[in-house]
Amino acid sequence: MKIKYLNRIAIAAIAIGTLSFQACKDKTDDGGEDVKPVDEKTVVVTENITTNTTWDANHYWQLGDRITVTAGATLTIEAGTIIKGEAGAGANATALLVARGGKLIAEGKADKPIIFTTVADEITMDQVAAGNFASPNLDPNINGLWGGVILLGKAKISASNSSGDVSEVQIEGIPTSDPSGLYGGSDDADNSGSLKYISIRHGGTNIGAGNEINGLTLGGVGSGTVIENIEIVSNQDDAIEFFGGMVNPKNVVSWNVGDDGIDTDQSWGGTLDNVVVITPGDRSFELDGAEGSMERRHTIQNGSIICTLDGRASTDLANVDPNTIVTLKNLYYQNAGEGQIFNSVVETGVTFENICVDVAAADLSMHFKSGATIPAGITACSTKYADISGFGWTWAKAAGVLSTL
Amino acid sequence: MKSPLILFLLLISSVFVSAQNGTIRGSVIEDATGDPVIFADVLVKGHPNGASTDIDGKFSISLAPGTYTLEVAYLGYQTLVLTDVVVKANDVTILNDLRIKEKSDGEGNVIQQVTINVKTNKNTEASLITMKQRSPTILDGIPAAKMELIGDPNAAEAAKRVTGVSVEDGKYVYVRGLGDRYTKTMLNNVDIPGLDPDKNSLQMDLFPANLIDRITVSKNFSAELPADFTGGLLNVETKDFPDKKIFNVSIGTSYNPAMNLNKNYISYQGGKYDFLGFDDGSRALPDGAEKSTIPTPISGSKSQQVNDFVNSFNPTLGGTRQRSPLDFSASITFGNQISLTKGDSMPTEKDPKLGYIFSLSYKTDYKYYSDVAYGEFQRSQKSSVYDMVQANMQTGGMGEHNVLIGMLGGIAYKTKLSKYRFTVMLLQSGESKAGIFEIDNASEAVGQSGYYAISNNLEYNQRTLANVLLQGNHVIPKKGWEIDWRVSPTLSSSTDPDIRKTAFTYASNDTFFSAGAGGNPSRIWRSLTEINVTAKVDFKKEYSLGKMDSKLRFGFSETYKKRDYEIISLFMQFFGPQNWSSTDVNQVLKPEYVYPNAPNKIYYQTTTISPNPNAYSSDVTCSSGYISNEFQLSKKVKAIAGLRGEYYLQHHTGRDQAWARGDHVSGKNLDDTIVINQFNLFPSLNFIYSYTEKSNLRFTYGRTTARPSFKELSFAQILDPITNRFFNGSLFQYSSWAGNLVPTMIDNLDARWEMFLKRNQMFSVSGFYKMFTNPIEMVRIPEQQTTTEYQPRNVGNGKLLGVEIEVQKNFDFIHPAFHKWSFSGNFTFVQSQIDMTSTEYNARKQYEKEGQDVGHTRPMAGQSPWVVNAGISFNDYENGTNAGIFYNVKGPALYIVGGGLFPDIYSEPFNSLNFSFNKKLGKEQKTQIDFKVSNILNDKLEAFYKSYKADKQVFSSINPGRSFSFGIKHSF
Repeated sequence: MKIKYLNRIAIAAIAIGTLSFQACKDKTDDGGEDVKPVDEKTVVVTENITTNTTWDANHYWQLGDRITVTAGATLTIEAGTIIKGEAGAGANATALLVARGGKLIAEGKADKPIIFTTVADEITMDQVAAGNFASPNLDPNINGLWGGVILLGKAKISASNSSGDVSEVQIEGIPTSDPSGLYGGSDDADNSGSLKYISIRHGGTNIGAGNEINGLTLGGVGSGTVIENIEIVSNQDDAIEFFGGMVNPKNVVSWNVGDDGIDTDQSWGGTLDNVVVITPGDRSFELDGAEGSMERRHTIQNGSIICTLDGRASTDLANVDPNTIVTLKNLYYQNAGEGQIFNSVVETGVTFENICVDVAAADLSMHFKSGATIPAGITACSTKYADISGFGWTWAKAAGVLSTL
Repeated sequence: MKSPLILFLLLISSVFVSAQNGTIRGSVIEDATGDPVIFADVLVKGHPNGASTDIDGKFSISLAPGTYTLEVAYLGYQTLVLTDVVVKANDVTILNDLRIKEKSDGEGNVIQQVTINVKTNKNTEASLITMKQRSPTILDGIPAAKMELIGDPNAAEAAKRVTGVSVEDGKYVYVRGLGDRYTKTMLNNVDIPGLDPDKNSLQMDLFPANLIDRITVSKNFSAELPADFTGGLLNVETKDFPDKKIFNVSIGTSYNPAMNLNKNYISYQGGKYDFLGFDDGSRALPDGAEKSTIPTPISGSKSQQVNDFVNSFNPTLGGTRQRSPLDFSASITFGNQISLTKGDSMPTEKDPKLGYIFSLSYKTDYKYYSDVAYGEFQRSQKSSVYDMVQANMQTGGMGEHNVLIGMLGGIAYKTKLSKYRFTVMLLQSGESKAGIFEIDNASEAVGQSGYYAISNNLEYNQRTLANVLLQGNHVIPKKGWEIDWRVSPTLSSSTDPDIRKTAFTYASNDTFFSAGAGGNPSRIWRSLTEINVTAKVDFKKEYSLGKMDSKLRFGFSETYKKRDYEIISLFMQFFGPQNWSSTDVNQVLKPEYVYPNAPNKIYYQTTTISPNPNAYSSDVTCSSGYISNEFQLSKKVKAIAGLRGEYYLQHHTGRDQAWARGDHVSGKNLDDTIVINQFNLFPSLNFIYSYTEKSNLRFTYGRTTARPSFKELSFAQILDPITNRFFNGSLFQYSSWAGNLVPTMIDNLDARWEMFLKRNQMFSVSGFYKMFTNPIEMVRIPEQQTTTEYQPRNVGNGKLLGVEIEVQKNFDFIHPAFHKWSFSGNFTFVQSQIDMTSTEYNARKQYEKEGQDVGHTRPMAGQSPWVVNAGISFNDYENGTNAGIFYNVKGPALYIVGGGLFPDIYSEPFNSLNFSFNKKLGKEQKTQIDFKVSNILNDKLEAFYKSYKADKQVFSSINPGRSFSFGIKHSF
C-alpha cells in the first residue's frame, strides 16, 4: 500500500509538472485562457455544499469559487487536508463560507493540521505529514491571494438593523447580492461546528475599498461552536474578526496580517484565551462596542504580542471606541516602539488587568496619548502570558518568530 | 453620392431662380383654436399672383419689389386684409400666424372683414397664447417666433422661459419640481434616449434655437401622449422649412473665476482625441483583461507574462494640477427652403418645396470644484443621543473637462397635401474627470475600520448618439383627415473606459495600499450600448357632431429598446511587502515595481467571472394604441375623452453572482426572461369651460405610469468610485426585499382657473392631486453596513396635493413706459406623503429618539414641498435688446430614504439666479451678442443627512461657482 501511495505521488508530481507546462503552452497559444493544472489528487470545488460532504486528506481541495455550506449541510474536513483557493477579487474571490445553519467540522491534529492557502502555495501533504508546516515557496508576508474562511451563525449580535436589534446583518467581505452573507439571530448556544488545528494563509482578497475578507470571520457564531488552535498568516485584512456571537476560541496565532491582529464588533460576548499576535499592519487589537442596544462584555486574556519585528510594525497596541466593553487581562507587549499606543484608557467599559509592556518604566507613557493617566492595570514589566507550548504545529513556530515568547 | 450632388445643385440654383423678386411667406391659423388653416386663399390686391395655404397652413408668393395689400379669405371666416406689406428684392417678408375668425360670433353678429396694418401691428406672441389658451390640455411652450425675437442661443435657455420649467446644470429640464423619474423629454414627438443613460431627460443645450420650430410642455396627460410621464412632457420640434435663409456662425466663451484659468485645476494625461470627445485607445482594456483568469503569480503564469500584462495597463494613476483654459463654443447653422420649379419658370405655389437645416456645434468646458465633500453619517443607537456619527468624510478637489460635438441635419419635402421629413442627429461627448480627495474614515462608526487615505480618481465617460427620423404628414382637407407617421431609430453608447482609483493609506508609521483601509488601487471598465426604434402613426379627423366641431384622434405606436451593459473591474495586488519611495501615485506603476520586481511586486487580480454577473442585456417592446375625441359640448365647453392602451414587455438576460459562480440551486439566472409584462389602460378626461373670452376653467383626470429603468431592473452592481457608493439593481432578493420591482401607477387630477390678458399676460391658479401606487424610491440597504449601498425599491403608496400659481404680468400697469418689462413666475406648494411599509416603520421606530414621535407616513422621495420659478424680462423687439433675470429654487426634497441606523438624505434648496442679455447689432440686426451670468448667488449644490434634533450633516456638496459667458453670432 505504501509503495503504491508513493507511486501515486510521483505520478501526480509528474502530472502536475506536465500539466503546468501544458498550461503555459496553452497560455501562449490563446493568450491566457482559463488554466487549472488539475491532477487526480486535486479536486476543484465550484459548487456550493448543500448536502453532508467530506473533504478527505487524500486530495488537495481547490476552491474555484466562493463555496457556501448552506443551511442544513455539514462539511467535514479530515485532519491533514490542504485546501487551496484560486485567485480572484470581488465577485471572483474564492472563499469558504459557512452560512447560518450550516456546519464545518474541520478537526486537524497537532501533527496533521488542516491548511487553507492559495493555489500558488506549493506545500504538499507529504511535507505536512513530515512535519514541515512552512510554505516551500511563499514568504509569510504575501497576502490577498485568495479569500478566507467565514463562519456565520445564529447567535445574538448587537447590530442596528431595519427590523431591530435581533435581526440579521450582511457580513463584511460578502457582497450584498449574496444573502448567504446574512448572520445573526437569537441562539447564543448555536453550533456552527468545530475548528481545530487550522492554519489559514495568504488570504484576504478585495471585495471593494474597505470591504475585504478576514482570515477567519466569525459572524454571530454561538458558544456551541468549538474553535481552538488556529493560526492566521499574512491575511490582507484582519486575522480574526468577531461580529457579535458567543463563541470562545482559544490558542490563536495571528501573524503578519495586513490589518488588525484581532478585531471585535457588535458585542461579541465570549472569551479569547491564549493568543499570540505578531506584527499586524494596523492595530494589534481593534475592539469596538455595541451597534445595537444589546451591550455585553468580551474578554481577551493570556496573550503575547510582538509589536515590531523584521521591519514590520503594528500601529495601536489596542484601539477602543467610547462604547467598547472589554476586559483585557494578562497581556504581554514586546518590542513596543514609538507611536504604538493604547488609543484611550478612559472608557468606562474597558478594564485592564495585568497588562505588561516590555519597556523601561520611564518610557511607558510614550504608549499613551500625551497627558493620559496610565491605568493601574498597565505597567512596564515582562511577564510572558501566552502559553506557546501547544503551537509547535504552526508556521510561525517553524519560522522562529515565537522564539522570544 | 448622386443625390447630395443634386441637392447641392438645387440649393445653388435656388439662389438664382428668383433673383429679381422678393417673397412673402406666412401662415394662417384659426383664431379660436390656433390650428393651421389649409386651403385658405391669399390674394394680392390688384395682382394676378396669389396662393392658397398648404398642409401647414403656410403660403408663399413671389412678387416684384413693392408695397402690397393682401387678402386672406376662407369660407365662413372674416376676410383678413393686410395693408402695407413690403416686398424687397431677394428678401423674404414673413407674415406668420395670421389669425382668421368666424364671421358669426354666435350671438347674431356677422363681421365680414378685418383690416390690419402690418407696419404698425406686430403681434408676435399671439400664436403661443392661443396654443396655451385654447388647448384642451394644460400646455405651455415657446414658438420659433418668440425664440427668434428673444434670441436665446439654445433650447435650454429658451425652455427656462416656460413657466413651471426649471433647467438644471444648464441642460436638464424639470417640470413642477418633480424629479427626473416623472419628467420626460422628446425630440420631434419621438422618444429618444438621452446621452446620459441614467436620465429620463434629453440634454437641451444641444439644440440651437434657430433650428427649433417650437418647444411645448404638456403638464397633464392626454391619450395621444406616451403614458410614462407625470410631471411634464417636454417636446422639441425642429424646423422643417425655415421661413427664410439661415446662415449663422457663432462663437462663445465663458469664464468662471473658480474654474477657468485656475492653476489648481486637476486633469490627467488622456488621449490625443480627447478634444474631439472620444478616446484614442489609451484607455482601452488591455488584451485578455476581460477574462476571468488573467496572468497572476497565483495562477501559475510565468513571471514575464504577469509583467507584460501589468505593463499593458496605462501607468497614469493620478491627477496633475495645471491651469485650466477658458470654455469655448462654436457653431455653424444654416437652413432654407426652395421651390422645386420645373425648368426656369417662375416658382408657383403649386411647386413642391424643399427645406433643409444643418447645424454643427462644438463645445468644450472646464470645471473645477475646489471643495467637494461626500459624507457618510449614521444615527446613534442610543435614543438619548441626537447627534449623528460621522462614518466617513471625503473632501477634495475635482476637475472636469467636457467636450461635446453635435450635428443636426434635416431635409424636408412638401407638396400641397403631403410633407416628408428626414432628420439626422449625431452627438459625441467626452467627459474627463480627475479628483484628489482626502478620506477620513472613523472607526467609531458602525462597520467602519478607521483610516486616513488620499485618493486619486480618474474617470472618462464617452457617449455617442445617432438618431434618424423619417416623418410624413398627409391631409385630406375635404374629409377632414390628417395623418402623421414617424419612424425613428437611435443608436447610442456610453462607455467609461479605465476608471482608476488609487488611494494611499496613511498610517502613523507608513504609507501604503491597505485593502482594509483606503483599498487597493482599482480600475473599472463599463460599457453600455442601446438601440431604440420608434414607429408611430397618428390620425386626426375633424367632423361635425350635431352642429359642433369635433375631432377624433387615434393612433398606434411601437417602441423597441435594447440595452447591453457590462462592467469589468480589476484590483492591484502586491506579491509581498510594499515599500514606496514616493506617494506620487503616478510613480506606482513604475516598471521596477511590477512583478516579479521587489519591492511591491505589482500584479492584478480580476473580479470578473464568467458569465459576468455584472453584465446584462435587456429589451423592451412597448405597443400602444389610443383613441380620443374632442367634443365641443357648447360654445363654451370643450371636452376631450381619451383612452390609451400600452402593452409593455420587458425581457432581461442577466444573473446574480451566486448563479454566475455555479450555484444553480439558489442562484438566479434570467435568460431572456420576462420581467415586466403589463397591459395597462390609461384613461384621460379633459374639460375646458371658457366662461369668458379670456378665462377658462379646466378639469382634467389622467392615469400615467413611471416604469423602472433597465438598470433598475437588473442584477447590476454599479460602484461610483468617487463616492465609493454602490447602486444595486432591484432584481436581487435581499432580506425583506423580494426582488420584484413593479411599475408605478399614478392617478392625476387637476383643476385650474386661468385668465389671459393682452400682451401675453396671464394668471392662473391650479390645484393638483396625484395618487401613486407602488412608487419607486432609492433605499439605503440597511443590512449592509461596511459599504454604502442603495437599491431602488417599491415603497408604500403615496399621494401628493399641490397648488400652483402662475403669473405672466406686464409692468405697464405701473406706467405705460414699462411695457417692455414683464414678470413671469410660478409658485408651487406640494404636500406629499408616503405610507411607510411596516419594515420601514419598524426600522424608524427602533431608532426613535427621545421626544420623537415616528409616524406611519413621510414625504415622498424626490418631491420638493415648494418650487419657485420666477423671472423678470425686458424685451425690446424693435431694438433687438432682450434681458432677463431668472430665479429657480426647489424646497428640500427627500433624496435617499434612510431608516434605522441610516439617516434620511435631503437635497438642499439650490438658489439658482441667472441673468441673460442679448442685443442685435447693426441696421439689419445681423450680428447678435449675448452675455450670461449663471449662479449669481454662488450657491452650492448640496444634500444633507437629517435626523431628529440633530445638526444636519453633509452627504454631498459641490460648488458650481458663478460663471460669465459671452457669445457672438453673425447671420450672413
